Amino acid sequence: MALPLKYNFRNVIVRWRATLATILGIAMVVAVYVLVQALAVGLEKSASNTGDPRNVMIVRKGATAESSSQVSLAQLQTIRYWPQIAHDENGAPLVSADVITLISQPRIDGRGEANVSVRGLTPIGLKLRPQVKLVTGRWFTPGKREVAISQKIARRFTNFHVGDSFRTAGNTLTVVGEFDGSNSAFDSEVWMDADEARSLFDRQNYSSLLVRVTSPQAAQEIITRIEADKRLPLRAEAEVKYYGDQTATAMPIRILGNFLATAMSIGAIFAAMNTMYASVGARTREIGTLRVLGFRRRSVLAGFIIEGALLAAIGGVLGCLLALPLHGYSTGTMSFNSFSETVFEFRITPWLAAKGIIFSVVVGVIGSLLPALRASRLPVIAALKSV
Amino acid sequence: MTLSTFIFKNALRNKRRALLSVSSVAASLFLLVTLQVALRELTLPVESAGAELRVCARNKVSLTNPLPARQRSIIEKIPGVEGVTSFTWFGGQFQNEGAMTFAQFAMDAKATRLVFTDLKLTDTELAAYQAEKSAAIIGKISADKYHFKVGDHFTLDSTIYPGSLEFKIAGIFSGTADDRMMMFHQEYLDESIGTPGLVGMWWIKVKTAEDMPIVIKTINDAFANTAAEVRAESERNFQLGFISMLGNIKTLIASISTVVVFTLVLVTASTMSMAVRERFRELAILKALGFRRRELFVFILAESFGLAVAGAIIGIGTAYCVYTFGDISKMTHGIFVSFEVTPHIMGLAALVAALLGIISAIAPSLAVARMSVVNGLKTLD
Repeated sequence: MALPLKYNFRNVIVRWRATLATILGIAMVVAVYVLVQALAVGLEKSASNTGDPRNVMIVRKGATAESSSQVSLAQLQTIRYWPQIAHDENGAPLVSADVITLISQPRIDGRGEANVSVRGLTPIGLKLRPQVKLVTGRWFTPGKREVAISQKIARRFTNFHVGDSFRTAGNTLTVVGEFDGSNSAFDSEVWMDADEARSLFDRQNYSSLLVRVTSPQAAQEIITRIEADKRLPLRAEAEVKYYGDQTATAMPIRILGNFLATAMSIGAIFAAMNTMYASVGARTREIGTLRVLGFRRRSVLAGFIIEGALLAAIGGVLGCLLALPLHGYSTGTMSFNSFSETVFEFRITPWLAAKGIIFSVVVGVIGSLLPALRASRLPVIAALKSV
Repeated sequence: MTLSTFIFKNALRNKRRALLSVSSVAASLFLLVTLQVALRELTLPVESAGAELRVCARNKVSLTNPLPARQRSIIEKIPGVEGVTSFTWFGGQFQNEGAMTFAQFAMDAKATRLVFTDLKLTDTELAAYQAEKSAAIIGKISADKYHFKVGDHFTLDSTIYPGSLEFKIAGIFSGTADDRMMMFHQEYLDESIGTPGLVGMWWIKVKTAEDMPIVIKTINDAFANTAAEVRAESERNFQLGFISMLGNIKTLIASISTVVVFTLVLVTASTMSMAVRERFRELAILKALGFRRRELFVFILAESFGLAVAGAIIGIGTAYCVYTFGDISKMTHGIFVSFEVTPHIMGLAALVAALLGIISAIAPSLAVARMSVVNGLKTLD
């Protein structure tokens, strides 16, 4: 089947003025779709970047967030000497007992306060999270009221840069370092010494334990052992899985993205139809000529659908390009899971961009279907006679 | 044929195009209304009649840090304070149901009516609630959603405290700012976790609006330099604080709304130009007949305005019907419980539509105004 493809393709270029609005309209729809989905991807990515497959996380049974979990000193002492736990070069068990507290701090833009997660941890805790790297300054000294803050959080709150100090719980904390959490959940945290945090925030217990296991089999042993031991009201989980489950926060954003895409695409389909109908109407004579030249009805039909798809694909590519400058831009909102500020990046993956373009092509095909049908059904003689 | 019939017939001469234009305007305005309502629901402090006389006091460190129960007697003695209740988030979930259900707060049952003056509950139900330690009262919205009746028993697992509690519904209330929440006895919670002497927050009722700033200051000063410093504020400010935590979501929705409006203008203006270009010759004839530029502008404007308004009526009307009569909490998986399309938002959308109608008419009108009659008559398509 011969297709008048060259004709359709050149038409998009020659009549660019008439089709520009449609292309731009579709580009906007795709840009919004890609950006909102990029937020969801960023949130999910931040969760998936967090866990280390060699680590096991232990929290109180029933706690949905680390900040509401409690692990007592006695429980820590019990677990610390289990044989499944790996040791460092000095023979110390690789167990990090952390304290998580939320502190309310003023935002940098002066628009009120928000909760920030403060994690109290030990040097072993730093060792267990190798993806977190110091960027400026130094780490906090155990025994001192010093904090190191994620660069991304530091940008969003007042007095969070190296050299600054801020007050909380009646005490002053000095910022001595800024770190980069490699897009993990730790990018939303303030880190300080565990015991200082316990005394500062009046906590007898720790919030969670993170342990490095000797082998994947040891991890499973710890999980089943804690599950079976009724004296330990705790729950152990692979760290990867623990953070993987936190992606639920991305759900509302996904829903919003899908809703926007649906509603906007309906509008875009109508607009595309309008353009295509007008373009078919204006080219009645040309279509008649094509038919006289021997192109069949179905070739004309296919040609016009392809023209619509091409038009929309240009819009799709343009939309992705419009969205691209925001790739890597970090933003933040309250996570309903941890109840604190969570920062994450717009992440436009190739797959997401491809989805955006496919989406635009679908809009184009649906929008051009009826006008193409009309074009293919024009009677040849009448079409040629029309002015 | 009058001028208005002329305009009307012109608008509908290409019925398909008129329909498509109206539909695309309608779809976009539907979206705009939805976004604006979502933005409003997210940023609206929960208001209630009793709010002007209520003070919320939380731990200065953050809302999630508890306060010592011993603070109560100090607050009660402050002049101007009429009632005090603890307000402790229980974070309970139904077994095997991961999703958020409704908020439950442990409170002082005796002070409930004193502090929540807007609470509508029959005296028998209140008495039944106060009489039994495991009793709870629940807002009407949640009661309807979970088909709870007075006398029902159910168990919630806490995500904050170890263990779970069994509750018995003693009454169903309405009239508060959030008729989803559940209230139960602070003592019941304390007993189950070994009375640690901690509460989540204090909610305080003051006598008059003039007392409010003094009471807030006195509470803040009273606990300065103690183990648990307090941040007291009016209920309204407290609710606003919640909104501030949402951060950039507001900006996101606002920018999407802008893009939607921009796209709308673009597409509609292009359709309008298309419609005018198609009848250049006729407009030239009208000019030749002696119609002035101003009159031609009115023809085009009236048509474009009419299409935009038709789209607005359909789009805004659909949004209103869907969100007023539909089950929004089911549609959004419980993220939104109320989704009120206010007259203000409808007005805003109508204004956008009206401006749209005017803006879209400008470019084609200019083209018509500039066209010379001779050239216009020569136009073929």
